[in-house]
Amino acid sequence: MVYFSEMPEKQRSMIVDQDLPDYKNTPCVEGPSLSKRKISIITTAGLHKKDDEIFTPGVGEYRIIPDDMNIKDLIMSHVSTNFDRTGFFQDLNVMLPVDRLNELQVAGKIGEVAKYHYSFMGATPPMAQEAVSKDLAEVLKADGVNGVVLAGV
Amino acid sequence: MRPPRALFVPFELGRPFGPPNKPEIQRQVLIEALTLLERRDGPIIEDFVTHSIYHKGIEEENEGWTCPINLAKPTNDLTDTQKLSFDLKQEVILLQPWYKRSIESSKGRRLDGLTTYSPEEIIDLLVSFIENPDIISFIPNQPIGRALKIISDDLKNFYFQSAMAKPKNISDVKLGNWFYGDTLAGKLLIEIRAICLAHSNESLQLIGRTNFVPNAMLKYV
Repeated sequence: MVYFSEMPEKQRSMIVDQDLPDYKNTPCVEGPSLSKRKISIITTAGLHKKDDEIFTPGVGEYRIIPDDMNIKDLIMSHVSTNFDRTGFFQDLNVMLPVDRLNELQVAGKIGEVAKYHYSFMGATPPMAQEAVSKDLAEVLKADGVNGVVLAGV
Repeated sequence: MRPPRALFVPFELGRPFGPPNKPEIQRQVLIEALTLLERRDGPIIEDFVTHSIYHKGIEEENEGWTCPINLAKPTNDLTDTQKLSFDLKQEVILLQPWYKRSIESSKGRRLDGLTTYSPEEIIDLLVSFIENPDIISFIPNQPIGRALKIISDDLKNFYFQSAMAKPKNISDVKLGNWFYGDTLAGKLLIEIRAICLAHSNESLQLIGRTNFVPNAMLKYV
């Protein structure tokens, strides 16, 4: 990640001037202790199985990544060239830490690992993602997931 | 909607959980992010505390990488497309043993596979675009710009996988310098970018600006 102070002004303004919600001092959602939570990972890295459709730029969509699949079979169809991919080439856990999450479950730090994780492609206008995000939120709730790691790249 | 809880991490984009093959760092990032779930005083943004394990991991990352494949210095003259196609395919032939070795050492993991085209077929398609920038798309249901991007990524992934056959930590900058500075395939993508930027099709212009050469590698343009 980069601090605002290190960004070129144009890039900084583009991020700061976005129309974002103002939470003021609204408290976060309450929930059980971490050791009782069911956790899923959502990445924006544009990951999917080889036989899935590749991501389409500008379209709100996500792909499903089963926790028990061989994550070495995941590929990336993200459009951006401006983030490091060599980490992903060597170790998928840099983007999608499913191995680490399962280790935390074995250690009793979290209650359960969700059966499915998910991938969006981050280079998509946020409003285009709204409908599918709401849809996914309902899917997660129906699966009993009560904690999500949203892992942007 | 309630506010989020965020953990700011010091790692470069593309590695939100830290360096590859450093499970202790990745676990630390993950547990610090998840622990924020137990706080309600939103909105929350915290800095990842850089532990000694992080600094040790970064020191090891700074070991040098050198490309295992000795490629001839690529030409800047891409006007003879027959020669260009031949030379590119020769480059692929040199890379093939390293590509196969990389797949074996990663237990079958392949980075390419966005399409079913072979590297040689991708070369033919990209060279045909250089010869005629108004060709129609060669991937069903994908406009020409997206099709070019997909096959370019597959070709680049073939090169990157080959280069990573030598087991060493490698940075994207080093790999990018090798690909865009020392390979004919890198030069090819720079040329594809230039053609897209000059095209009358605005969507190709946009794709040319952002999809073929990372900002850090524009020094080779």
